[in-house]
Amino acid sequence: MIQLKNVSKVYPPNVIGVKDVSLHIRPGEFVSIVGQSGTGKSTLSKMLFAEERPTTGKIYIGGWDITNISDQDVPLLRRQIGVVFQDFKLLPKKTVHENVAFALEVSGEKYQRIKKVVPQVLKIVNLSAQADRYPYQLSGGEQQRVVIARALVHRPKIFVADEPTGNLDTINTREIIDLLKKINEFGTTVVLVTHNREVVNALKKRVITLDNGQIVSDVETGRYRI
Amino acid sequence: MILLPYRITKFALQNFWRNFWLSVITISMLVLTLLSINILLVFNFVTDQAVNYVEDRVEISVYFYEQTTEEQLAGAVAYLRSLSQVRDVEVVTAQEALDRFIKQHADDEEIMQSIETVEDNPFGPTLVVKAESVQDFDFIIQALENPNYQDLIREKDFSNYEEIISGIRGSTERVQWFGYGLTAIFLLIAILIVFNTVRIGIFIHREEIAIMKLVGASSWFVRAPFLLEGIIYSVFALLIVVAILYPVLLTLEPKFSSYFGSTIPLMDHFYHEGIWIFVSELIALILINTISTGLAMRKYLKV
Ligand SMILES: Nc1ncnc2c1ncn2[C@@H]1O[C@H](COP(=O)(O)OP(=O)(O)O)[C@@H](O)[C@H]1O
Ligand SMILES: [Mg+2]
Repeated sequence: MIQLKNVSKVYPPNVIGVKDVSLHIRPGEFVSIVGQSGTGKSTLSKMLFAEERPTTGKIYIGGWDITNISDQDVPLLRRQIGVVFQDFKLLPKKTVHENVAFALEVSGEKYQRIKKVVPQVLKIVNLSAQADRYPYQLSGGEQQRVVIARALVHRPKIFVADEPTGNLDTINTREIIDLLKKINEFGTTVVLVTHNREVVNALKKRVITLDNGQIVSDVETGRYRI
Repeated sequence: MILLPYRITKFALQNFWRNFWLSVITISMLVLTLLSINILLVFNFVTDQAVNYVEDRVEISVYFYEQTTEEQLAGAVAYLRSLSQVRDVEVVTAQEALDRFIKQHADDEEIMQSIETVEDNPFGPTLVVKAESVQDFDFIIQALENPNYQDLIREKDFSNYEEIISGIRGSTERVQWFGYGLTAIFLLIAILIVFNTVRIGIFIHREEIAIMKLVGASSWFVRAPFLLEGIIYSVFALLIVVAILYPVLLTLEPKFSSYFGSTIPLMDHFYHEGIWIFVSELIALILINTISTGLAMRKYLKV
């Protein structure tokens, strides 16, 4: 599903983001990427949805070589990948429903479809009752679940979450992780970037550890080792 | 897809209303630019009309000696008419010249008495020559130096209209340059303001734009509202200019006409040519907006 071959990313002038990373993530896997701050976790996840392009190496998503994907094709890729970012916020002047619908609207989906899909994803994230609230009327965890719902509207085959629990307390964190597990159970490949030890240990899934932009360990049912 | 134009329009209108004062400033600047262009157009039109008007009235009176025969006169007329620079030759016979003189001075007893004492008609025939253009008068005057006619001519009367006209043209040119300069400055400011408006628009919508990009909106969908907003500005600006211009022209036309003593068909001109003038101005505005928006998006919108 996701394949990287000797991928390096150098930010100009010569800051190393990731260095010679090769990995293969199979369909339906749940992979955590861990490592200290500044070790290239975000760089790696950004390259998966073509927010950054590798300097050298090759990246394949579902067999599609996106290494030098054209600007025109980027939207096509992004409709197949759900993305959640730590600083990737909701629009404050839109309700929960509108925030989720927005993602479909700007992709040119028909209103009938939007009407159908939005309640479905809100149900998945368990926020049906809050559909008409505004973001400021929600807790941090609820807000993050709306962000996740928005990332699900295209029914992505891959879900990339970069520190989705960064600002959340333990209970909210667990809720979000449970949600990610649920998404994974639907068959979606999940890539979770985190530095939360408990999260990784509780998951008992594959863990890839980065250090200085390089993979230093890659274990099935791993534990947080740093 | 039919939905996209609707949503793009919705987004563009949202941009427009959310930055209402910015929109107002942008449109005002476009209006100023357009107004200065249109004032120039009106000015040029009126000047042309004025010069035409003066040119129409410029003529050389060629006074012949009384003993000039009709054949000689006819020869002179034919000769003048053969010149391409001559537009028209009017013949005033000796009798007509006398009649005109009497008519003109009917109130002046002294002159009337002196005319009565003269038995013969003191006037000779006169040719009133109109030229195609003011520059042709020199040529026509020279042509009359022709030895065939030179001795028949008593006097050539040619008020120096060329000076008047070059006077008009001279001051017109200065005003025109001022107008061009002003328009260029307004244009530059308009471009900068549109650029800045789009920049601020991109800044205000940066989160929406980031989300749009991440959820797979096409870059065209992100850009189109900004471009459409530019078209909305252009249409508004043009409508305002038309709304200002027509009443102004309507009040100016009689003033100009009475000043020049003949009709200056301003309204007629803008009525017939207006569509073309305004359509090309609209196209130019949209072009300016598009270029300016494009530059701003290129600089600030990474899609
Ligand atoms: N846009 C960028 N321009 C320049 N350097 C960057 C950029 N993004 C990240 N970096 C650098 O790349 C390295 C890896 O960063 P990042 O991938 O964000 O790490 P992490 O997500 O693990 O904290 C860091 O040294 C960071 O300073
Ligand atoms: Mg990071």
